[in-house]
Amino acid sequence: MLTFVPVSLGEGRAVTCERCHGGSPTPVYRDSAQIAGDIETAVRSGAAAPGPNIELTGPEPFGHPELPAIVGMAVRSGVSRLRLHTDASAFVVPANAAGSVAAGVRHVRFSVFGGTPGVHDVLVACPGALAETLEGVRSYVAAAATQEALVHVSALVPVCRHNVRDLPAVVATATGAGAAAVLLRVEDGGLDLRAAIEWVTAACDTGTVNGVRVEVEGVPPCLMPDHVLHLADVVRARAGAKAPACAECALDCVCGGGPAGAAADTLAALRAPADAGALAGRMRVARGMAPS
Amino acid sequence: MSAPLKCALLALNSVGYQSLALGYLRAYAQADRRLAGKVGFQTLDLTVDMDPWWVAWRVLGLEPDVLAVSVTCWNARAVFDVCRIVGRVRPECVIVLGGPEVGPIAAETMTANPSVHAVVRGEGEAAFADLLHAFATGGKAWRVDGVTAIKGDEIVSAPDRALIADLDSIPSPYLTGTMPLIDGGSYLETYRGCPHRCAYCFEGKGYGRIRSFSDVRIAAEIEMLAAAPTIRSFSFIDPVFNLTADRIAMFAAVLAPLAEKGLRLHTVEVDIERIDDESAELLRVAGVASVETGPQTIGAAALEICHRPFHADRFARGIASLRRQGIQVECDLILGLPGDDVFDFLAGLRAVLSLDPGMIQSSTLRVLPGTELWERASEIGLSFDPEPPHEVIATSTATFRDLRRAEVMAVAYQNEYRARL
Repeated sequence: MLTFVPVSLGEGRAVTCERCHGGSPTPVYRDSAQIAGDIETAVRSGAAAPGPNIELTGPEPFGHPELPAIVGMAVRSGVSRLRLHTDASAFVVPANAAGSVAAGVRHVRFSVFGGTPGVHDVLVACPGALAETLEGVRSYVAAAATQEALVHVSALVPVCRHNVRDLPAVVATATGAGAAAVLLRVEDGGLDLRAAIEWVTAACDTGTVNGVRVEVEGVPPCLMPDHVLHLADVVRARAGAKAPACAECALDCVCGGGPAGAAADTLAALRAPADAGALAGRMRVARGMAPS
Repeated sequence: MSAPLKCALLALNSVGYQSLALGYLRAYAQADRRLAGKVGFQTLDLTVDMDPWWVAWRVLGLEPDVLAVSVTCWNARAVFDVCRIVGRVRPECVIVLGGPEVGPIAAETMTANPSVHAVVRGEGEAAFADLLHAFATGGKAWRVDGVTAIKGDEIVSAPDRALIADLDSIPSPYLTGTMPLIDGGSYLETYRGCPHRCAYCFEGKGYGRIRSFSDVRIAAEIEMLAAAPTIRSFSFIDPVFNLTADRIAMFAAVLAPLAEKGLRLHTVEVDIERIDDESAELLRVAGVASVETGPQTIGAAALEICHRPFHADRFARGIASLRRQGIQVECDLILGLPGDDVFDFLAGLRAVLSLDPGMIQSSTLRVLPGTELWERASEIGLSFDPEPPHEVIATSTATFRDLRRAEVMAVAYQNEYRARL
């Protein structure tokens, strides 16, 4: 429900699945003056209250040589909430964790692929990566507790064919490290969504029984009608994310579609549930949308 | 002359708080001349997180002849445990319960808890004093108006007792020194009753019409609290602090000089739709640092069933006025109200978030004894836990699983919102 305006630190991503994307390209960081301009624009954009909230995205933020200055600029510009999207390994150094909290970083989103090193470390091609990430998250949470600062930690799980069966374990692991929310983002257009649903919904239930909110992006509501409360409420108009038939579906107005570039077979097989109209109406209510 | 009855007054409070109800009971009974020299009092203001066995240890250490306990939905399970243990160890001790959790279901409470000898129903001060008088003089507890008690093998309820007409006849627990002053944990009551009749709440139904303490009495209590060197903040427990414009003006006049010296009021409950720029300024002048308010729900069906008004524009205006004065607003939402589904609840959460009030607090519906929802539960499809705190299990519009999911979501969103610069 809170909107964070993304501000890119450069080209690249904090963590990627090596099996999906091959080797990670060398990150290219933007000049801090450019980033400052984007921060100012984001703050002035008047995005939906409460805010303004920004997220520093792109390549690993702790790789940017001027991160402290950028955080300082964001705080001075008047953001209410500043989120770093990171692999969290830099927080293993206590000074980084304590310094981030002291500087005003109240939100951290860390990427995680698997619930065990056997999945996570293999997919990111970095032995010991999961242990470092989890230790980093715990270090950040501990630093916040020491400074009596309220912080919010969430995990982003990029879902692909290589980790889909591990999703319940990922949620449990992220929760154990201190995540208060988990976002499952299906990014693999070749993933068999119908087969994936049992793992996605099991991950949602794992979150619920552990008191952690699990949100799902990249799965249409018609595939998980009993778990629509878990669907992210962002409706993205992404090319190739919806089947042609969806244009006549009552759920289209609240549907984020499948992952970008979803397999044609998957999209062609989508069918609205019998109560699609009523379900769409209730989902519109929850999202503060005008009645259809 | 026989030894005075030893009466132990017990409350299991939230951490940092003490029981105003016990303070009233004790102050009233101590002022009752019939009881002078016949009853001695000791108050145990403990916390609800204490193990009932250790609470019983503390109680038994006082060797009471009478144990009187204030019971709410939050402490009821622990209180019943304490009563059972005390009753076994010291069967000669008469155990009396009172409070909103037991008053409306007095006979059922006694049937389920055989160690309990009597329950005071409704407003307790006068009934409890009469009950003590009966105990001290060999009278019959079941003849005391407002009391349900054992008569032989039966549980008998005496007629209801009329409400105390003149609240000033109840001595102030603060002015009489019955209650200690605690920074942040002391609170005042300026009237009883509620102008609203919300179906889930006991406040309005239990106390009926509004009765006020006098302005002189209220001012005296405020001045005493303010004069205490340890008190930097306190609160009022009135269900609607801004009951009338005259009252806000009165409070502002009394409290403004104290606020200038740094005294602050926290979490007073307001009807926010009646707050405008002028009243918000008066609240700031009075030292109000934070207020608590609804909307509880914005779902049309739930609002109708619960008899609650909600005007989105006035609500937003009230929050904006208070925020301009630097006053934090805590907006409360209830999950599981009849008529709402979880989508309505999330819509309410979203609507409140968009107003950026400062604090949001959601709770799951508790179907409380004596409330309209308690009485109509079957009719309107409310399934709730019969054991206190009577949390709703499912409704005709929200499944058990969706309610649990929404609880988790609400907490997560609140925490995400609270983490800010």
